[in-house]
Amino acid sequence: MAENKKMSTAEILAAARAAKAAKTEPPAAVDVAPAADTPAAEAPKPAPSKPIAKPAPAAGGRPSVAEIMALARAKKEAEQGGGAAAPVEKPVPKPAPAKAPTLKADGDKPAAKSAAPKVLARDTASILAAARTGAKPGPVSKADAPTRPAPVAEVATVVKAPPAKLAAAPTLPSKPIKTVAKKGADAEADRRGFLEMVLGSFMATGFTALSMTGGLFGLGLARFMFPNVLAEPPSRFKVGFREGFPAGKVETKYVAQYGVWVVNSDVGGLQQIYALKTVCTHLGCTPNWLEAEQKFKCPCHGSGFYKDGVNFEGPAPRPLERYAIRISDDGQLEVDKGRTFHEEIGQWADPDSYITV
Amino acid sequence: MHSNGLFLKDVAGFLGSYYAGLAIMNAIAAFFIWRRKNRIGEAGFWASVAAAMLVLASLAMSGSASSVPHLPESLRKLVNTLSGPVNYTAGTTALFAIAFVFRKFFVKPMVAWTVFNAALLLMGLAMADENFASIVMKPDNVPIVGLVFLLAFFTWVATKQAVENDERIAQGLPPLEKENDEKVLVWPDLVYTELICMVAVSAFLLAWALLLPAPLEEPASSVKTPNPSKAPWYFLGLQEMLVYFDPWYAGVALPSMVVFGLMAMPYLDFNKKGNGYYSINERKFAYLTWQFGFLELWIMLIILGTFLRGPNWNFFGPFEFWSPYKVEVLNNVDLPQMFWVNLLNRPLPRVAADAPWYAQIGTILLREAPGLVVMAAYLFLLPPLLAVTVFRKYFAKMGLIRYLVMINLMLLMLSLPLKMVLRWTLNLKYLISIPEFSLNF
Repeated sequence: MAENKKMSTAEILAAARAAKAAKTEPPAAVDVAPAADTPAAEAPKPAPSKPIAKPAPAAGGRPSVAEIMALARAKKEAEQGGGAAAPVEKPVPKPAPAKAPTLKADGDKPAAKSAAPKVLARDTASILAAARTGAKPGPVSKADAPTRPAPVAEVATVVKAPPAKLAAAPTLPSKPIKTVAKKGADAEADRRGFLEMVLGSFMATGFTALSMTGGLFGLGLARFMFPNVLAEPPSRFKVGFREGFPAGKVETKYVAQYGVWVVNSDVGGLQQIYALKTVCTHLGCTPNWLEAEQKFKCPCHGSGFYKDGVNFEGPAPRPLERYAIRISDDGQLEVDKGRTFHEEIGQWADPDSYITV
Repeated sequence: MHSNGLFLKDVAGFLGSYYAGLAIMNAIAAFFIWRRKNRIGEAGFWASVAAAMLVLASLAMSGSASSVPHLPESLRKLVNTLSGPVNYTAGTTALFAIAFVFRKFFVKPMVAWTVFNAALLLMGLAMADENFASIVMKPDNVPIVGLVFLLAFFTWVATKQAVENDERIAQGLPPLEKENDEKVLVWPDLVYTELICMVAVSAFLLAWALLLPAPLEEPASSVKTPNPSKAPWYFLGLQEMLVYFDPWYAGVALPSMVVFGLMAMPYLDFNKKGNGYYSINERKFAYLTWQFGFLELWIMLIILGTFLRGPNWNFFGPFEFWSPYKVEVLNNVDLPQMFWVNLLNRPLPRVAADAPWYAQIGTILLREAPGLVVMAAYLFLLPPLLAVTVFRKYFAKMGLIRYLVMINLMLLMLSLPLKMVLRWTLNLKYLISIPEFSLNF
């Protein structure tokens, strides 16, 4: 039901192509039988001259690159006076006509056959097809190849048989016939040799460039592993003399560079100077010191800590950590970020974690 | 921040077009009701609503700041003082309960249209408040405003179909979906629809990105955390969860449980009814559990985290200024502290730092005994208890394994609201608090 109502895109294209092909079709096309399984059944012109156009839609609706190339080639030949190629302007219907002459030539002009294989060999599809069938490598496309019974088989069989998927590259053969007729095998061999030379040098250039790029990349990668920067400020640093930390003060000026608060406060009856790590013990945000409320407050989930670093609100599960602190030889306080002290496992009792005032 | 008058001048143009948009919307609705439904009385009512919106639009755009329609100051103050995490959660839950109980009333198109208009009007009036507007109109938050309305709409559509189906089933008719189950083709029907949607959504996103550019902040720094510091909007529910739990639980275990539970759902569901059509009556338990988990525990927390959580993750009322200096007195205590110190008037069990390991572990276990007992009762005593009481029928139908999986998933899901309530009412921080091993619950 649906098929009756709606034509798929492929069908519409096929119909259009068929119509066009019917106009531009060379008379040679007569010996190609209509393909039974093509979806172009509703094509507006079921005239006997149409069939050639049909294989194209069967090929999947859209001209492949190979077809376009073939078209260009055939067109050029036609201009140069090659009589075999059909004079077609439109790219879409071209593939089919282009093939027709080939097939015809195959059947009608056995003389050309001997030269054909060599020329065709440039087409990968043809080579594969020829190898697969074991038949004489006539001017077949890869589509034609598997079902081609003999070089002289009826063209009808050839055209009808191609599975839709493979029919896309029917075109190249049109050229060989002409070329061979004109130039002969030697000229062709030369050209291939030239191609091989050029291609070979391309390969050489390409691989040289590739290996050089790879080498440079490797060197760059190696350099990347040893960056020319100091990733962190030194883990030991001096914060000044103890007179700079009066009782009750939370010094926040080292937060931006070192991530540490230096606090002088009363902890359990002892006046101590200690260095608190500015990392919330919940999820690692940096809390803010709120002077007015005398607490550290984390902006992420609202954890709060007393001045001594003990957690009292929000989700933080344990107190802030302390860094090691000592009085260095010149009398300044020195914080060592290499060591931390956790209250919950009793490390705040360690004399390295504070300075008694 | 500029003064209120200047702000009103800034927002007046937007509010004017907002009310004009509402007027056009209602005019179209009135026209539709008149021509298609042929209900002239209703059409007249909505036409007059459209006219009222036009009046509001002209007031907003009159050029005088004082005439911009707004909520009275006293009402805004009242809302601010009433709002808090407890009232918010209780209120939304009550709202959902009302919507569920009276769903037959709310699924009527005219009722829904009235509620929709009222919500939009209230939002327009509230947007004349600077504090409200600064949060709601923030480019990051606009998607959540959209989410609120979009989600309400989709929930409404599904509920409407479910209510219709329930009525049909009660009359012995097949559900609507069975009645009209003509199949359509993927190509072209579905693919074309998708294509059109793709083009429309792309155009919409493009316009959105141009009109409301994403805000950029200063370069990240490990020692400077923005205040408030918020997760992407879709994770704000998770961030709110993290307020009540240790990260390993709210950040890892519970989200994994959500994913696992969603995957397990088809295997737990033994109810063959409601397959391929909407229905509430035929699967009440599944429906309510799902809606509570999704709407209340996910969407409502996203809205809470977006609009009501400000600097220092403090709670702010919708019309309150987001001051980073707001003082909120909180002093959370762990259950061991409550039990040993507050209840028994004894110090927490302690052990010397150099004691052997078994003494350490033993002391920790003794200290955490109350929390461990509560958790054990919750996770191991409740399932069998529920199996012989509330879930007796379910247990019989599901079998032991499926029942255990289902009940554990449900208890874990409910652990979130229970913990929230405990935090709000008792200032309870953790039931089990073992910071020595980073194990807190």
